Amino acid sequence: MLISLFVAAISVALFWMAAFTLWWQMHAWRTPETLAATRFDRPEGGVGLSFSLLLPARHEQAVLEHTVERLLESSHSNFEIIVIVGHDDPETAAVAERAAARDPVRVRVITDTHETKNKPKALNTALPHCRGDIVGVFDAEDQVHPELLAHVDHAFTSTGADVVQGGVQLINFHSSWYSLRNCLEYFFWFRSRLHLHAQKGFIPLGGNTVFVRTPVLREAGGWDPNCLAEDCDLGVRLSSAGKKVVVAYDSDMVTREETPGTLMSLLKQRTRWNQGFLQVYRKKDWKQLPGRGQRMLARYTLMTPFLQAYSGVVIPVNVAIALFLDVPVGVAIVTFLPLITAMVTFVFEIVGLHDFGKQYGLRVRAIHYVKLVVGGPFYQVLLAGAAVRAVWREQRGRNEWELTSHVGAHLTEVSGTREDARR
Amino acid sequence: MTTTLPPAPEATEPVSAAPAKATATTTAAPAYVRPVVRFRSSRPDLLLCGVLLCVILLVQGWNITQFPTLSDDEGTYLAQAWAVQQGEGLAHYTYWYDHPPLGWIQIAFLTWIPSLIAPETMSVASMRFAMLAVSAACAVLLYVLARRLFLPRWAAGLAMALFGLSPLSVVLQREIFLDNIAVMWMLLAFCLAASPSRHLWHHFAAGLTAAVSVLTKETMLVVLPALLVTMWRHSHRDTRKFAVTGAITACALIGLSYPLYALLNSELFPGAGHVSLIDGITYQMSRPGSGFILDEGTGSHGVLTSWLYYDTVLPVGGLAGAALLLVTVRWSVTARALAGPALVVAILAVVAMRPSGYLPAMYVIQALPFLALVLAAAVASVAHAVLRRGNWGAGQARPGLSTAPARARAARLTAAALLAVAAVGYVVPRWYDGNRAALTVDANAPYRAAAAWMQNEVDDPANTRVLVDDALWLDLVHDGFEPGTGAIWFYKADLDPAVAKTMPRGWRDLDYVVSSPTVRRDAVDLPNVKSALEHSTPVAVFGTGEDRIEIRRIAGGEL
Repeated sequence: MLISLFVAAISVALFWMAAFTLWWQMHAWRTPETLAATRFDRPEGGVGLSFSLLLPARHEQAVLEHTVERLLESSHSNFEIIVIVGHDDPETAAVAERAAARDPVRVRVITDTHETKNKPKALNTALPHCRGDIVGVFDAEDQVHPELLAHVDHAFTSTGADVVQGGVQLINFHSSWYSLRNCLEYFFWFRSRLHLHAQKGFIPLGGNTVFVRTPVLREAGGWDPNCLAEDCDLGVRLSSAGKKVVVAYDSDMVTREETPGTLMSLLKQRTRWNQGFLQVYRKKDWKQLPGRGQRMLARYTLMTPFLQAYSGVVIPVNVAIALFLDVPVGVAIVTFLPLITAMVTFVFEIVGLHDFGKQYGLRVRAIHYVKLVVGGPFYQVLLAGAAVRAVWREQRGRNEWELTSHVGAHLTEVSGTREDARR
Repeated sequence: MTTTLPPAPEATEPVSAAPAKATATTTAAPAYVRPVVRFRSSRPDLLLCGVLLCVILLVQGWNITQFPTLSDDEGTYLAQAWAVQQGEGLAHYTYWYDHPPLGWIQIAFLTWIPSLIAPETMSVASMRFAMLAVSAACAVLLYVLARRLFLPRWAAGLAMALFGLSPLSVVLQREIFLDNIAVMWMLLAFCLAASPSRHLWHHFAAGLTAAVSVLTKETMLVVLPALLVTMWRHSHRDTRKFAVTGAITACALIGLSYPLYALLNSELFPGAGHVSLIDGITYQMSRPGSGFILDEGTGSHGVLTSWLYYDTVLPVGGLAGAALLLVTVRWSVTARALAGPALVVAILAVVAMRPSGYLPAMYVIQALPFLALVLAAAVASVAHAVLRRGNWGAGQARPGLSTAPARARAARLTAAALLAVAAVGYVVPRWYDGNRAALTVDANAPYRAAAAWMQNEVDDPANTRVLVDDALWLDLVHDGFEPGTGAIWFYKADLDPAVAKTMPRGWRDLDYVVSSPTVRRDAVDLPNVKSALEHSTPVAVFGTGEDRIEIRRIAGGEL
């Protein structure tokens, strides 16, 4: 009896958790009108705002030049690019200086002299030098669409927003089984879920293609140099302060990226995010959100990695109990509820993969659908592992500096774990 | 305050087009955008629907306990609902997967509160009132569906009236049949599939309710393709793949809960000593066919005749309407909007035509709302054709000849009025006769008398064993007979090993048989029942002829 009650309670809780997550994940496709509203408005009339685009680069001499060149191709007429390089990274600095020499009006180089380096510190170093109305953040290997700035400009002026978040999309779904799932995660997040967050007034921002009005950013004190998820933290602080955030996603205007190169680097990246989410949760800025629903959403979103890990373990256990232990049939049926939501999620992921292929003109083959389904449980294990790892590290390393320096150490390893430092 | 971007005006146009051009195409391309019907905030709709609902409830509710004759099936479903209420499992005898149990679980919920207040009301005649709630829901849902399929207000009202007031509907919807409840869920599924907001979760819910409908009465399975067509037509190109796959997934997952239930009970596969889902399905699929519906003398033809006896307008007119809509689907906007319901009628008609199939009398119930809907739509199409089609030419005639269009218009109006008068003149007298019978005839006096006799004349009900059909079973249970082994549903005396075990001496272990038409009809194949009838003499007879009910005392029993 007690076991039955316990199992039923857990099942119902899991069911609601999964149902809410699914509900939010599918936000953009609720109605054709919602879907249409997630896109950028077509810019009309001239440009009104000026941009300062921050481009932190660290041991990224190989890709930096191309990124800067592509940014310079932007159709917008009023922007500057500020490349931030470390004082201990002469190769990247040389590339940056060369780009600045070619176009001294629009490209500048700022040197970050912090002893231990991370992305928020680099961004904070550049913040006082920004001359534009809007500060935008990109990563050194981003492929940015030339029309993006004009659209963002229009989004700012037509909505009066304080923050505009553009879409970021991993593209190389064919590289490996986990990159397939990783791409799809991004797809659901930027295509759909983030719009819900914007609508509800609580949003963890992304790491790049994010644009903030310069005074707003300065007023907020820039980025938190001690937080492992400084982008999420910024979003939480700005939305808690009641700033208006607008999200827009156009498949031909997203910033394209690639998934981490190895499974290990994906695990490390995910650990860092999870730890960052934990830190943001513990900073409690979200408690200033005015609405109870908003606070619940914040609490839930920041806890998601851990709930995910938990449900990944509990769902199979639960089903096993239903099948092999002697519980009443009614209770056994209830234990299948979370499985039902999991299967609905699976189906929507399959459809999402199809839509992803259509949106980006990529050929998705049958084998990819198979990988998606078969890889699901394993990816769940990976996420659970990253969540556990994050908790363990956060518990062990109470000293934020140690953590940050650890990430800094990763940053010095070239290419292999380079992705670890970005989102 | 944070928000997403304000909605772009239908941003589905090719992005490559220049902005100005694109705006031009968005406004020009859809020549005619139909207004979205918001039922809840439309006063005329609410008023019309409310008035019709009152009339329908009055006609269906008046005399509901006395007409039509109580049927064994009604009794069975209610007895099973009673068993659910009592916490005795899914049936008053061993549940053997004859139908999915969801139907009578819902009846159990519907009748729960009245049966708590007054347990003796849990009998067929009085619980027919619960079916009024189902009828009301069906009628309102049909109106909403008609409006969501863009029928004009009068046509939606017509559909609702045809559905609720046809003598055939009045007779069948009064009865406690699973089909009536299944129809309600299917109508809800259609309404959700045609949701004006085209919401993903509305379509998802359409899948859920469709599954509930199928689990209420499994024959609804054949209607699902038509639901899919409706959903396809009413979803938006950009969100369709999510909406439709979501709905299919929801439907499949909920539908699978039934085999899952059987599996968890270890009753999915056949085996010795227990019932199983596979056995149940095998039985239903192998029921002897009732012949080709149009061959005179077959069982199916008899069923058809019984339907047409009550009403020809709805079945025949509905079929004709469906045919008209399906034929004109290329030209008529209405026909395209109504493709789903018309397809339902077509599918059900084709299934009924199978010569090898078994055609039960309640089969037509699942078609009734769709017949009404397509008939109303066909009438609307004809009205549109008579009044409007080709009107633009007349309207643009040269000013000098202004009398010609006026004359043409008058001719059109006259034609429409004549058609309407002819239709009303044809339908009203027939329906008046049919419904007068439903409102005045008392077909259940023998049953009531038999129930009263058993209550008053049997001295020791707790130790008396009676074979009875299910229409009276619950009455006997309320009188104090032992459910299952004292009050015995007559089939079980032969078909349920658990009951047969309690009567080792066959008919000699019984005291009475309440011989109703159903008992006499089916006793042929039931040895115990047959011999009980043979070894008994009537002690009371109610009614005359075929429909009489005899209470027979068994001679040589252990009285």
